[in-house]
Amino acid sequence: MSKIRMEDIHWIMDILQNIDAGLVVLDKEFKVHLWNNFMESHSGIGPQQALQASLFDLFPDLDADWLRGKTDPVFYLHTRAFTVWEQRPYMFRFKNPRPITGRSSVMYQNITILPIKNINQEVHHVCLIVYDVTDIAIAHNDLRKHGLSS
Amino acid sequence: MPTKVLICDDSSLARNMLARSLPADWDIDIQFATNGKEGLAAIEAGHGDIVFLDLTMPELDGYGVLEYLHQRKSTPKVVVVSSDIQPDAQDKVLKLGALAFVKKPMNSDTALKLVKDLNLYTESTVQRQRPMVSVNQRDCYQEITNVAMGQAANQLARLLDAFIVLPIPKVDLINANDLRMTITETLGYSSYSAICQGFSGAGIAGEAIVFFNDMSFAELGTLLNYKDTHKENIQLEILMDIGSLLIGTCIQGIGNQIDIHFNQSQPVILGQHSKPDELLNPESMYWEKTLAIDIHYTIEHLSVDCNLLLLFTEDSIAKLNKKIDFLLE
Repeated sequence: MSKIRMEDIHWIMDILQNIDAGLVVLDKEFKVHLWNNFMESHSGIGPQQALQASLFDLFPDLDADWLRGKTDPVFYLHTRAFTVWEQRPYMFRFKNPRPITGRSSVMYQNITILPIKNINQEVHHVCLIVYDVTDIAIAHNDLRKHGLSS
Repeated sequence: MPTKVLICDDSSLARNMLARSLPADWDIDIQFATNGKEGLAAIEAGHGDIVFLDLTMPELDGYGVLEYLHQRKSTPKVVVVSSDIQPDAQDKVLKLGALAFVKKPMNSDTALKLVKDLNLYTESTVQRQRPMVSVNQRDCYQEITNVAMGQAANQLARLLDAFIVLPIPKVDLINANDLRMTITETLGYSSYSAICQGFSGAGIAGEAIVFFNDMSFAELGTLLNYKDTHKENIQLEILMDIGSLLIGTCIQGIGNQIDIHFNQSQPVILGQHSKPDELLNPESMYWEKTLAIDIHYTIEHLSVDCNLLLLFTEDSIAKLNKKIDFLLE
């Protein structure tokens, strides 16, 4: 791998913090190791509170058995896992990012779960990427209501 | 003899913060005025060795006060403390005889250096009690918005090389059913285009909407060096560029004052060339009340006209009030 400059790391951290998608790194105990601005802004939970805490303590409504079922293959088979809004409208109950003109009270989410390999090619951590798909979901539901989509 | 200090500002929060920024051991007698007329009356009555003057005020604004004093034989020392920090605003007040221009909110280091530089500093043997100004919540929202919109106007003024006329922001609690009516009252029936953008941080969430009067595009386009400003896609470019600048600066400006980092979602076009109330669809709104702050921007000598509407969700209000309480401590 090419040499990484300190400056690059600052850039990457800044981008990860400010990108318009949620990023959460979890270990096998579901303890939080990365919590970016998107997650902080929409949950109201700051990194001081989130880091090292169990995701299930932070979000008691989260279905633990379901999430374990989703992440097990990521930890053990090193494959990616996904959930889309049609199957489960959201994983984290966040407000619609446009709470005034948006036509739903919640944020619809698609989620990707990535395995993170360490130097020895082992996976002890996974990364959840939370995409806001509220506008897509609402537009799709409108079309369906008018019989224009299956 | 203590120095007679006059603080002239329409916002109780600003009067409070300014009084607290003055050196505690400065031997002074503070009086307050809530608009330019009251300010002049106090000066005429002999209370005004030094005047800390706001620019945007009802009845008579800061420029009006300076113009009046300019004609007068003996004038007090005037320091303008303003949220309108456009280069032209600074030039104007200095030409009218103000001795200094300070960006709001003034901090205590700036205040100390200023009164020493102006040769007004006399030490008192007793520490002054913090003056009590009763501050209401609406004033706080207004003042925080003032500072933020001043920063936004400054950016826009530099981008367009024009002078932005700053109004006093309007703060209201609005029911969803009344939102369209309020918008019609504010904007009338001309043709408008609008974009909106969500923001959230620390459990406080809301949406910012920028309404552009469609007649603004021709002159704005010229200022931004766009050709074919009658074309729909060029108007969208302008709407997006200027809209994002106003929203971004204003939201970050508010966030900086109450120590919140706001995340902004992608902007969405609400519609083009419609009556303002038709750009919103209240039947589909699921909320009941919103805290609305309306800022009406115009540009001097041009027919450019736009409104920035900040709408906070009802459950954000309690959290916002808590953040604002920190400013008063």
